[in-house]
Amino acid sequence: MIRRALVLVLLAVLGALFAALWLGFTPAEELGLTGRYYAEHTAPDLGAANLVTAIIVTYRGLDTLGEVTVLFLSAAIVGLVLAGGRPAARRKPPVPAGELLATGSRLLVPLILLLGAYVIVNGHLTPGGGFQGGAILASGTLLLLLAEPLKRFSHGLITRIESLSGATFVALGLLGLVFAGGFLDNRLLPVGTLGELFSAGLMPVISVLIGLKVGAEFSSMLASLSETEDS
Amino acid sequence: MPEVAHIALATGFALVLIGFYGALTQRNLLRIIVAFTLATTGVNVVIVAIGHMSGRTAPILDAAVPAAEAVSRVIDPLPQALVLTAIVIGVGITALMLAYAYRLFETRGTLDIARLTELKW
Amino acid sequence: MVSAMPSPILIIASALGAAFLLGLLDERRTRTAWAITLATLGFMGLVSALWLLALATGQSSTVDVFTAGTPPPFAINLRMGLAEAALSTLVTLTGLFAAIALKAPLWAHGRRAMAVLLILVMALAGIILTRDLFNLFVFFELAVIATAGMILLADDERALSAGFKYLIVAQFFSALLLIGIIFAYQVTGTLNLDGMLPDAGGAHAGVTATQVGAIAFFLMLIALIAELKPFPANGWALDIYESAHPAFSAIFSAASGAAALFAVDKLLAIGGDAWLGIATGVGIVTFLVANVLALPQRNDRRLLGYSSVAQTGLVLVVIGQRDILGDGYLFIAFGILVAHAVAKAGLYWLSGLIAGRGLEDWAALRTRPLLMLAFASFLALLTGLPPFPSFYAKWDLVHLLASHDRLALLGFVLFGTLIEAGYLFRWFGHAIKRAAPADSVACPAERLIPILTALVAAWGLGYLWGALSGQANLLLSLPLLFALAFVLLDWLPARIKNTLAIAGMLGYFALTYQDYDPLRLIFALIFLVGGAIVLLASYHAPGRRAGFYPSAMLMYAGLAMLVQAQDSFAFFAAWELLTVGSYFLILRGKASEPHALSYMLFSLGGAFLILAGFALAAQGQLQLPLEALGAVVEPLSGWVFLLLAVGFMSKTAVLGLHIWLPGAHAEAETDVSPMVSGILLKAGLLGLFILVMNMGKQQLYGVELTHLMLWLGALTALAGNLLAAFQEDAKRLLAYSSIGQMGYAVFGLALMNHLGWLMALMFVINHYIYKSMLFLSVGGVAKRTGTRDMYRMGGLITLMPLSFIAVLIGIIAISGVPPLSGFGGRWIFYNAILDSDARLPMIVLFFAGPIAFLYLFRLIHTIFLGQLKDEHRRVREAPFWIVLPQMLFVTMLIIFAVVPGMALRHVDAYISQFIPNGALSWQGLTITSQYGYWSPVSIMIIIGVIFMLVFGYLLLINRRAQKVKQFNIAFAAERPYRPETTHFAWNFFAPYRKALGFLMLPLVTRFWSTLTDLLNTAGDLGRRLYTGNGQTYAIHFLVFVVIVFLLGMGGQP
Repeated sequence: MIRRALVLVLLAVLGALFAALWLGFTPAEELGLTGRYYAEHTAPDLGAANLVTAIIVTYRGLDTLGEVTVLFLSAAIVGLVLAGGRPAARRKPPVPAGELLATGSRLLVPLILLLGAYVIVNGHLTPGGGFQGGAILASGTLLLLLAEPLKRFSHGLITRIESLSGATFVALGLLGLVFAGGFLDNRLLPVGTLGELFSAGLMPVISVLIGLKVGAEFSSMLASLSETEDS
Repeated sequence: MPEVAHIALATGFALVLIGFYGALTQRNLLRIIVAFTLATTGVNVVIVAIGHMSGRTAPILDAAVPAAEAVSRVIDPLPQALVLTAIVIGVGITALMLAYAYRLFETRGTLDIARLTELKW
Repeated sequence: MVSAMPSPILIIASALGAAFLLGLLDERRTRTAWAITLATLGFMGLVSALWLLALATGQSSTVDVFTAGTPPPFAINLRMGLAEAALSTLVTLTGLFAAIALKAPLWAHGRRAMAVLLILVMALAGIILTRDLFNLFVFFELAVIATAGMILLADDERALSAGFKYLIVAQFFSALLLIGIIFAYQVTGTLNLDGMLPDAGGAHAGVTATQVGAIAFFLMLIALIAELKPFPANGWALDIYESAHPAFSAIFSAASGAAALFAVDKLLAIGGDAWLGIATGVGIVTFLVANVLALPQRNDRRLLGYSSVAQTGLVLVVIGQRDILGDGYLFIAFGILVAHAVAKAGLYWLSGLIAGRGLEDWAALRTRPLLMLAFASFLALLTGLPPFPSFYAKWDLVHLLASHDRLALLGFVLFGTLIEAGYLFRWFGHAIKRAAPADSVACPAERLIPILTALVAAWGLGYLWGALSGQANLLLSLPLLFALAFVLLDWLPARIKNTLAIAGMLGYFALTYQDYDPLRLIFALIFLVGGAIVLLASYHAPGRRAGFYPSAMLMYAGLAMLVQAQDSFAFFAAWELLTVGSYFLILRGKASEPHALSYMLFSLGGAFLILAGFALAAQGQLQLPLEALGAVVEPLSGWVFLLLAVGFMSKTAVLGLHIWLPGAHAEAETDVSPMVSGILLKAGLLGLFILVMNMGKQQLYGVELTHLMLWLGALTALAGNLLAAFQEDAKRLLAYSSIGQMGYAVFGLALMNHLGWLMALMFVINHYIYKSMLFLSVGGVAKRTGTRDMYRMGGLITLMPLSFIAVLIGIIAISGVPPLSGFGGRWIFYNAILDSDARLPMIVLFFAGPIAFLYLFRLIHTIFLGQLKDEHRRVREAPFWIVLPQMLFVTMLIIFAVVPGMALRHVDAYISQFIPNGALSWQGLTITSQYGYWSPVSIMIIIGVIFMLVFGYLLLINRRAQKVKQFNIAFAAERPYRPETTHFAWNFFAPYRKALGFLMLPLVTRFWSTLTDLLNTAGDLGRRLYTGNGQTYAIHFLVFVVIVFLLGMGGQP
């Protein structure tokens, strides 16, 4: 009880801090320094229509590299944590998923994968991008895991996709260091015409790599977690 | 009329505080993790709220928003990019905490955080 | 040149690329994966080191690395400057060697674990290099997650819960950090750190200019500071330290801590000086509290954890003081930081070799001298002892703090350091003295390489910091190098090393004797030549005598440097060296563990007072010539005098600061006792000489400080003699007698007249001779009889005649009766007090005189006269090498008694420079003062004649005397309820004890032990704060945030 009261008092002070932020906050009327730059320069400089993707893939590409690394790391550690657990053989076999789900998944999974691929490759033009598409891809994996709980995923394949796409991401970034303006500069390839699929230089390629990597990592995490299921 | 951004901001802060409260008072590891996802979501809402500008559209150039008018027509794209990164990091940490919780349950047979105190002083 | 340098981005890219590629490798190719990991870390270290070299030598200047082909603030940029290069080198190399030390768990967990390690090191490098706030956040999250992964490598199952606790608190950090970042963006329109400064274009007035910006800045700052494990928000870190694999803890302490510190530093640079107070406050509280809480720790890794927390707090203090540190900022901050990093990494790696987790389990290292050397070096690094970087850094820090009147902070820093030294050296004492486990330490190469690298790095950095310091580089000073050479020569037989040592000391004296003024010449003679004579006794020791010579020579090197020192820095460095050397030396004694520790603590405490005194006197300079002490003006001069005097008197064991001496001197080895008593005590007197000669009389609040010293000296003489009289242990008796003798010397100095100083000097010489001699004789007797208790001895006169002669001559000399040199001392002394008007302390001192007879009489009477004990029938004379120096001392005493002018007249003339009045006149063999004259030779003859007459008369009348049998007097008055009570010599002065016992209450001991008990209890209660519950730790963090907010910002952002 004392603990709860203490927590409430502490959070009240924190809340007061937040309140001060809230009171002092005035929504911007005009774009700030960097926002304005992105609005003005993204299209002519990088040739991308989706400013958010341009920021994610290029301007703040280092963040994004860190971000996929976060997923990579989490997937690896989840694997490490769960590797120490009981061997799968001693677990009770999971309940089968049922006809409806199994059949439905066979229909849905290709569509999900297709949608994922679409979201990924059009990331520099329309809402979407590697992360969004990658998450969609992984949802396909999730559906498969639910539909066929007995099936074991090939960790080897997932790992290989994960590793290759990640390494290529880094390698392309380094190529930018040599052949373009710096690490992760997307103008390694021609910028092209705004609005076309093959435009914005390296951006679609990196989107694809991110999509593959995110999809693979989410899948790997889901697969690892599902293998722990022993209800 | 209060602006959307203010409402979103208040919501975000409230979520953060509620999440913190849950994380500090719930004793079950899984509930703590859920509380944290709540708080993380709150932070993400705060980020998005900061980027919001009333009367503007999404930062994507197309026929409706030609490149030349972008400066006056689109909202700030940067917080949107940041929130994406923040979400992904949040997912990574949540997955990690879940795996930890699973392993703790497996080795210690409990999900009560007050019973994981063998390291102290 | 810049173009030729590899891009800093490679540090990050190579780690990521390698981490991703590891996934392509077959799961079974562990060896290849490990090789890739090491190669990548090596490459990262190489790139960092190349930049460090280029930037340090000026071949390159700070570069900003752009990404995405777009300039900042629109894209993320990295910066590589000197600090970044140094930190990134530190982080990557720590990672490399930790990877080597982690070989076993990495191989067991496979390539995924190696990828995690690579990403951890990469993330830490990223934290250091990036100039973008959100990017900083991303790297921090990477570091958090990777840390949670590395914790899993532990063998300890409890690590799992530690990792979960860390994830809980880290969620709080990151939420606050992110909210802070986004509002800082809202205020400034940028995420770039440099864009947060007041904008030249006028877009905004800096992030902290507005209320929202200030709160945002506060949130970011507090979240980053929380990564530094500040008190009380650090329970999670301690649990990690205790349970994680030690090789990983090395990274967690050394590398993670360094990176987080730099992040705070970067952030504070944009916040302005107004925010520095928070860093200082949090830092100093953490430093002090963590050190106190470490006191009751018994688990080595947790202890190191507390120490890590404390050291990080100290660096945070330095960061908080950057406004006054000026150009010295990096030198000081890095001096402390690298010392901490190297030492902690090394100690954690060492702990990986130790099977048990108790502090006493480190005794296992005793079989490995090299590892013991590493252990000692790491502790010295942490404590800031010379010649390590932290020593130079602390020197500068204290001076700058003193010159800006931040005295409370200065006091806290020194006090915290003393507490830290307390538990670290207690631990070292355990390692040296406790029973070693049966199985010796297994040292596979991959565990050994990191430790030895850290050892080499420690000394290399010591050299580097010496070269950068603008002071004399200690590692270039001949005496220290000579002493260190014995570390390498430790495999030689003791006799050869002894010869080398004696030759070295005499040679150094021959080399330098022309450089000294007459006063210093006497001290140099005692330290170097006197030391060589005492070393003759060491020839008796068989075998290799491992560890003896490095310690002894370190002490002598310190002493040699002390006499030569002309400025405060050289003096202080020498002072610390001799302290360390003598500590090791004292620790060698059989039951000396607690005494060596209390010696070390009193010495270090005294040294810190001296440091503070010098720093106050330097007034903004980083050192001052010792003569310039006289130029310090009031009221500062009074304080300087007080600090220095108390500091020096801690070494001469003045009353109140004396409790370390009896144990330290009595428990030391036979040939060590004369070194630490006859020789080492003089270091304090040299300091006092220099002090009073340069500063003269000083007042504080109207109190004459020399007058206080006078009283202290007198009371010390009284108490020392009194306590000596009641000892049963012969060596303790001599030790207490030293306290008394030093009291006389202090008294003489404090008289502040010509003869007083001469008398003090007389005591310097005499005390060296007779105390060395007596300790050797009594030591020799103790060696032969196997006991130091006098009531267990008796009648040894016929069996050990030479020892008897030495003791006889010695006590005649000490007691100050004619004809020996002690009388000279007394004579000068009486003349001196006639010169002075301090009557009351004089009376006290007179009272002390006869008491000296009481205990001296016991030495000769109980040990050598009376009945021989049965078990001693076959006792032989002490070994030749122990007797030889005694005979030399006897000769010296006689020569000095006959021609005291040899040494004294030069000094007399020298003292005249300071106090012209009251000099003695030296004519032939006669010495004249204004009150009378003293002719040593005639006195010698007269006393000789009287002695012969009385002796002859006694022989004549005692011919028919009956010999007293052993038990004749045993039951005279007391009931023998313990075996020793049957011996007449036990409790010999019982009547006096009844009369004066109230003076003997161990009040001083009680005071100091109450103080240490209080600290220990506080630590024991305080650490219960860390309940082990992750939620409680999170609440601690919120409490921390609220307190810092309320105190630091006054609740009014």
